[in-house]
Amino acid sequence: MRLLFALAGFVLVAATVAPSALAQFAPVTPESPNADGIRDSYLFVSIFVLGIFVLVEGLLIAFIVKYRRRNRPRFEDGAPIEGTTRIELVWTVLPVVVLFLIAAFVFIELPGIKNIPSAGASGQLEISVSGRQYYWQYEYPNGVITIDDMRAPAGVPVRLEISAPDSDVIHSWWIPALGGKIDAIPGTVNETWFEAQNPGVYRGQCAELCGPEHAQMLASVEVMPRVEFALWLEERRAAQSASAIELGKEEWGGVCAKCHGLSGEGGIAPRIAGSLVLSDPTSVEDLVRNGRRTMPAVGSGWTAEQVLALTNYLKENPPNGG
Amino acid sequence: MAARGEPTPTWQRGKVASWLVTTDHKRIGILYIWTALVFFVLAGLMALLLRLQLSQANADVLSADRYNELITIHGTAMVFLVVVPLIAGFANYLVPLMIGARDVAFPRLNALSYWLFFLGGAILMLSFFADGGAADTGWTAYPPLSTQAPGNGQDLWILSLHILSASSLAGAINFIVTIHNMRTRGMSWTRMPLFAWSILLYGWLLIAILPTLSAGLTLLLLDRGISFGPWEVQTSFFDPADGGSPVLYQHAFWFFGHPEVYVIALPAFGMISEVLPVFSRRPVFGYRAVAFSTVAIALFSWLVWAHHLFTVGLPIPVQVYFMIASMLIAVPTGIKIFNWLATLWRGNISFDTPMLYALGFLSVFVLGGLTGIYLAAFPIDWQVHDTYFVVAHFHYTLFGGAMFAIFAGFFYWWPKMFGRLLDETLGKWQFWTLFIGFNLAFFPQHLLGLEGMPRRVYTYSNESWEGYNLASTIGSYVMGVAVLLFIVNVVRTSRSGPRVGNDPWQADTLEWYATSPPPPHNFDEVPYVTSARPLYDLRRKLREQRGERALG
Repeated sequence: MRLLFALAGFVLVAATVAPSALAQFAPVTPESPNADGIRDSYLFVSIFVLGIFVLVEGLLIAFIVKYRRRNRPRFEDGAPIEGTTRIELVWTVLPVVVLFLIAAFVFIELPGIKNIPSAGASGQLEISVSGRQYYWQYEYPNGVITIDDMRAPAGVPVRLEISAPDSDVIHSWWIPALGGKIDAIPGTVNETWFEAQNPGVYRGQCAELCGPEHAQMLASVEVMPRVEFALWLEERRAAQSASAIELGKEEWGGVCAKCHGLSGEGGIAPRIAGSLVLSDPTSVEDLVRNGRRTMPAVGSGWTAEQVLALTNYLKENPPNGG
Repeated sequence: MAARGEPTPTWQRGKVASWLVTTDHKRIGILYIWTALVFFVLAGLMALLLRLQLSQANADVLSADRYNELITIHGTAMVFLVVVPLIAGFANYLVPLMIGARDVAFPRLNALSYWLFFLGGAILMLSFFADGGAADTGWTAYPPLSTQAPGNGQDLWILSLHILSASSLAGAINFIVTIHNMRTRGMSWTRMPLFAWSILLYGWLLIAILPTLSAGLTLLLLDRGISFGPWEVQTSFFDPADGGSPVLYQHAFWFFGHPEVYVIALPAFGMISEVLPVFSRRPVFGYRAVAFSTVAIALFSWLVWAHHLFTVGLPIPVQVYFMIASMLIAVPTGIKIFNWLATLWRGNISFDTPMLYALGFLSVFVLGGLTGIYLAAFPIDWQVHDTYFVVAHFHYTLFGGAMFAIFAGFFYWWPKMFGRLLDETLGKWQFWTLFIGFNLAFFPQHLLGLEGMPRRVYTYSNESWEGYNLASTIGSYVMGVAVLLFIVNVVRTSRSGPRVGNDPWQADTLEWYATSPPPPHNFDEVPYVTSARPLYDLRRKLREQRGERALG
């Protein structure tokens, strides 16, 4: 009995110091309310997990020490106890109570994790995210397109509509500091959101195996002060209309180079530096829109602007093979 | 078939031929175990290659393609060619002995099960030589990735799993019929060994889930397109461009895949429930609670599959249901853990290698179970799903749980199967090496997942992940050393191990009543069973008789 009290005390102490000690055993520092809610839920569950872990391992070690054979004969019987219903009921009902508490906490946190805050004074931004082998394509409300690196204003709820083209495979959008992941599934539109207060660059990557270069399907969100963001978006809009090569450069790096190498020197896909196809805009358009053999149709659904950006970029910066 | 008394044809009497044509449940059990151990070594070597590639950021040991082939075959093989067949091997060997039967109900069907397993395993392993290499879409083979995968690896993967499913299904039917009909006199349901209980539920679960896997795989095959002479079929069940849904496959796969975890875990639990009492010199605490929690786990495990789909965007009420259902499994699992602990209480515990493994199982399986609570709470799963946190979780349950229990089983039943004890000193070295290596390999993976490292990436550039990855790699090689120690132990004791008689552990169940190894017909006679511990009763009766004689 004394043993049980000592254990109960230990569990209590462990449960009170747990939250601070667990900080490094928890998801990354949240930068958005939804990530924050998930982390809180994680820490709440951890209190019970740690308590049960300590209880079970503690009992295990205590029993091993206390009831080891020592000098008793090898095959002497232990206590002939076959069980008692009362204690069975205790360890059936107690876990139910713990699970009830955990589920209740999750329900309390859930609205703050799942629901997108209604547009405040600073409005709300909507970005559509398209997962493709092996890059992320973002489209802003004014038609601006970026690849892999998203930019977003600080302190504004950003709603993400996440999907993948019908001809592509499943990907999963995930920036750990900005919330949980959600799959980008061909033929389906999923939704998630974030609202980051602090400017900075938050990194993540595709979390659903999507082919050989899955590991290279990185994503980042650069959160910038609101005014700066608005300026960037306008400049980018103008540049895109004037077919500046900025977008083309992103497309080369994000869409082509992951398989063909940054200088076209080849990787999991063949070397394309010096290829005649690259200098012929029509062939390039045909290739990216329709794919060829094992090359997926990486540019299916691209706008004319997007294709032009790539061909212009290739004209000015033909890959030299490194 | 010795019992039938037909003379064996000469060509079947040779050393090799007699194994090829055997229908003896014990020989088939041993065939299962040896074959699965070979696959265990192969799939383990694959894991060591994978860990080498991940030991450093931007390493260049394996190409992306080769890496994905290896994760796919490592995972598929460990589940379908290693743990499940090892359990089938133990079940084959032990269940008839434990229930006092002479063989399983359908010995020839049993042989067919084994040979189908052998065929399916060979196809999977040889698919590395197929056009385009082995399947490289993970052991889950989600479409559209798997329907678009070029080459024949994916088709062979489907073929192999179809064959392995047929093998498991035949085995499951055999076990169920055997357990229902062939228990010896006096062995009522509540006197049946807990391992036999677990195999009964293993059988029922497999029958409940395998058809769904087969259906999912068939649709996958049709979506990939098949041609037969002039006929060609190309469907689009999972192709959104034609009105299909890729998520449909995930439901089919996990309707099978989640209970499959318990197909593996329940017999492992069963082994622990046999070993712990014997080395504590106690009856198992709460026999009925342990047996009925097996039934409860099997039932619940069947209703929770979509917790693997929390990130596909299911409606919230659906996610709520699957969270609560998944959490409920913790209740019967907790019942087992606390009953095992209570079995140690006031016992007379000795630490032979089987017991070390059983205690090791308890200490690591708890963590595997507890991390499951995070994964069941769906908002937390949105964060840790598809990361190394999950990889750590399922290795704690499948390796820390199942393989530790299976090693306990090896050291415990080896003298029954082969008449010789495995070396205890080597066994203890192996246990500690494996225990330390295992925790070093898999504990850091929880932290990697929390820091944002997804699973199934062939490389990473984030250098802050290097420390944990290196620790994990070192741990995996320490585990490799432990497996090597086991092989050395098996080879050394096969000639020189001490012969220890029928019942070296003074155990409680009927398999220890037979000789070691048992004759083809198992028993000359079986004692009438009056409790869940027939041999304990028998020893007491003998003692009483001796005592009376001494007094008289």
